[in-house]
Amino acid sequence: MQRVKTILGHLSPSYTCENTFEPRRDLSGGECGAAAAAGPEDIVVVHGLRTAIGKAKRGSFKDTTPDEMLSAVMAAVLRDVGLSPNKLGDVCVGNVLQPGAGALMARVAHFLSGFPDAVPVYTVNRQCSSGLQALFNIAGAIRTGSIDMGLACGVESMSLRSIGSPGDVSSRLMDNEKARDCIIPMGITSENVAERFGVSREKQDAFAFNSQQKASRAQKMGLFDQEIVPVTTKFVDDEGKERVVTVTRDDGIRPGTTLAGLSKLRPAFKPDGSTTAGNSSQVSDGAAAVLVGRRSAVEACGLPVLGVLRGSAVVGVPPDVMGIGPAYAIPAALELAGLTVADIDVFEINEAFASQAVYCVEKLGIPMEKVNPNGGAIALGHPLGCTGARQVVTLLNELKRRGKRAYGVVSMCIGTGMGAAAVFEYPGP
Amino acid sequence: ISKSMQIPGSLRMMMTVKAFRTPARHGYAVETSPFVPRRLACAASQYYGIAGCGTLLVLDETETGISIVRSWEWGDGLFDVAWSETNEHVLVAGGGDGSLQLWDTANHNAPLRVAKEHTHEVYAVDWSQTRGENLVVSGSWDHTAKVWDPSLSKSLTTLRGHEGVIYSTIWSPHIPGCFASASGDGTLRVWDVKSAVCRLAVPAHKAEILSCDWCKYDQNVLVTGSVDCSVCVWDLRNIRQPVSRLLGHTYAIRRVKFSPFSKTVLASCSYDFTVRFWDYSRNQPLLDTVEHHSEFVCGLDFNLHIPNQVTHTHTHTHTHTLLILTTLSLSFSLPGI
Repeated sequence: MQRVKTILGHLSPSYTCENTFEPRRDLSGGECGAAAAAGPEDIVVVHGLRTAIGKAKRGSFKDTTPDEMLSAVMAAVLRDVGLSPNKLGDVCVGNVLQPGAGALMARVAHFLSGFPDAVPVYTVNRQCSSGLQALFNIAGAIRTGSIDMGLACGVESMSLRSIGSPGDVSSRLMDNEKARDCIIPMGITSENVAERFGVSREKQDAFAFNSQQKASRAQKMGLFDQEIVPVTTKFVDDEGKERVVTVTRDDGIRPGTTLAGLSKLRPAFKPDGSTTAGNSSQVSDGAAAVLVGRRSAVEACGLPVLGVLRGSAVVGVPPDVMGIGPAYAIPAALELAGLTVADIDVFEINEAFASQAVYCVEKLGIPMEKVNPNGGAIALGHPLGCTGARQVVTLLNELKRRGKRAYGVVSMCIGTGMGAAAVFEYPGP
Repeated sequence: ISKSMQIPGSLRMMMTVKAFRTPARHGYAVETSPFVPRRLACAASQYYGIAGCGTLLVLDETETGISIVRSWEWGDGLFDVAWSETNEHVLVAGGGDGSLQLWDTANHNAPLRVAKEHTHEVYAVDWSQTRGENLVVSGSWDHTAKVWDPSLSKSLTTLRGHEGVIYSTIWSPHIPGCFASASGDGTLRVWDVKSAVCRLAVPAHKAEILSCDWCKYDQNVLVTGSVDCSVCVWDLRNIRQPVSRLLGHTYAIRRVKFSPFSKTVLASCSYDFTVRFWDYSRNQPLLDTVEHHSEFVCGLDFNLHIPNQVTHTHTHTHTHTLLILTTLSLSFSLPGI
C-alpha cells in the first residue's frame, strides 16, 4: 500500500542521523561489489523467527524453561513454511548457561516440537555468538555435503541460570597473562575498551539512547510483529498466583529513556568508570530459530529464499578488550564475501556494551544510521545463546521490509576475546 | 501535571498538560479556533493514518481538562483540519480518500459538503486569512494543490508543478491569493492563485519536506521542516541559502509553526517524540525541548487568544489508545521590566 511506504519513508534510517544528511542510495545490480551469482550450492536462509525477549527474573519468561521457548520457535519456523521436520538433516542449538550448553534441554525441546527421533540435535557454546555459530555449523554441514537442510537455533534463560562458576580451570592460569585476562568480568573489559580507545561516557549514553528510541519506534510501528512467535506460557505474578499468558512483545524496551536519565546512572563496574546499567545490554530470556539449506535442496522443496550467506568469520582478539571483536571479524567476513563496508545497507552489531559497539562502528567507519536500525541488545536485551540467531532474523526481516536487493551483516563480540561476523544477501522481492 | 522551567535570558516558561483520550485514534493535526478561545479541532486517524477510519473532534479546554464538543467519524483517515475564518461553526478537513469535507458544529451527522477531486490523499487544508478573501487551499499526494471557494462547490483552480506528494499548503497571511506548499520532491513552492502559476520554487532540503509555515510579521519569511531532521528559515528575497538552519531533532520533522506573537519564535514537532521551541534570531536558537511524549508528535498549533502568552497544543499518537493534548504557555518578559 502506497500510504505505508510514504509514511515509513519519513522514518527512513538514512535520515535518522544526528543532523547529517546522507542521500538514499539505491542499490542496483551494478554497484554491489563482487556479488556472487545465485548458484545451486549457495547456503540460503529460508525463514527465521524468534520469541519476544523478556527481562530476566522480572519479565515475561521469568518462569519459563528454555526448552519451552526453543520448541515454540523450532515448531513455528517449520509450520510457517510447511516443511516436515523429517527433511532436517540436523538441528544445532546455541546455548551458554545450561549445564553442558543444554544438550538435554535441546533434545527435550526437539520432542516437544513434535520432531521425530530420527532427526538429530546438538548444542554449541561460543558464548555470545552461539546462535550465529549454530548457523555456521549447519552451513558447514551443508557445505561438506553431510546434510541438505538444517535448523540453526539459539536459546537462553538468564532468569533460571546465571553466569556463575567458571568451571574447573588450572591455577596456572594466573601465570599466563592472556589466560588470566579470560576471567576479567565483562563489564571491566568494557571499561578497558572505553579507556584504551577513548570512548566517552557521553558517546556511550547517546548510543544507548538511540538504541532505545529506535527499538521503541520499531515496536510501535509493529516491525517486530512478523518476526515474533507468540508463546503461551505460565507466569507467576506478584501475589504468587500462576497465570497463563501469551507473550508477544519485547518487554525490555524503554520508550521513556532520556539522555539526562542515562547520564545520571552510576558506573556499574568501577567507581570512575563509564559503563552503566543503561548503556550495557540487558540480561534477558529468549529463543530464535533459522531454517538453512542448500539452494538446490531448498528450491526442490518449493521453499522461498529469504537470504544468502555470502561470508562468515570468527577471529580472536585480546581477552581484556574482547568487545573489539566485531572490528576484526567484520572485515574478515566482508573479504570472504568480496564486499566492503560501503556495500552493506544494514549492520546488526550486538550491543554487549555501548563502549565496544561505538568503538567498532567508528573503527570501521560505518555510518551510524546503518547500525541496528531497530535497536539492539541495550533496548531489546541479550539472551546470550539466542542473540546471534535473533540478529539474523531481525536483519533479514529489515532487509526484506526495505524491498530491494541488499546486503547486511550480523556481528558480535565474544567473551574471552573473539568476534564473529556473517554477511547475508537479501536477494530482493 | 504542572511544572515550570527557568530558561536563560528573558523567557520564562510554564507548562501545564491536559490529556484527552480517544481509543484507537492517532492525532494528526490540531487547529485552535480563531473565534472561540480554548476551542480546538483535531483531525485523527486509526493506525497512524496508514489504514482504517478517521475522526474529526471539536474540543474545549476547561479548567479541569478537555471536553468533547462534537465528534464525527469518517471512512478514511483524516490528516488535516482548518477552521473557517468567517464562520465560527464551520471547519474543513482533508482525508485519505482524497476528499475535502466541510463540517458544521451545529450539524451532528453528515458534513455540509464533500468535495472529491483529488485522486490521492489530501494531506493539507488551509483557510485564507487575508482581508477580503475567503478561499480554501488543499494539498494532495496526487502532486496537485487545489483552491476552492468556501462552499467547496467546485475547485477554482488546480496548481501543478510539484514532482512529489504535497504535505503542506499554507496561505500567506500578507499577500492576497498567495500560498506556499511543501513537498516530497524537496522543494518549497510559492504560488500565485490569480495567475495559477508557481512564482518561486526553493530547493530547500535534499529530503522530503513535511511542513512549512509563514512568518506572521514578515511577508518574505517562511519556515520548512524536513525528513533530514532540520528546520530551515527562508527569506524569499535570497533563497540561495537559509537564513537559519535549526538542528536538534533526531527524526523527521512533522510540523512547523511560527508564533503569532513573536517575529522570530517558532515551534517544531517531530517523529523523535519532541516539540522544540526556537528563536532563530538568537545565537543559541533552541529555547526549549518538550520531551514528555512517548509517541510521534504530529499536530501543533499556537493559541491566538491569550495576550502576552503563547499557548500551543499538540496531539500525539499512541498505539491503540490515546490522543493527548498538551497546553504550554510561554511568557515573555524583558529583563528589568
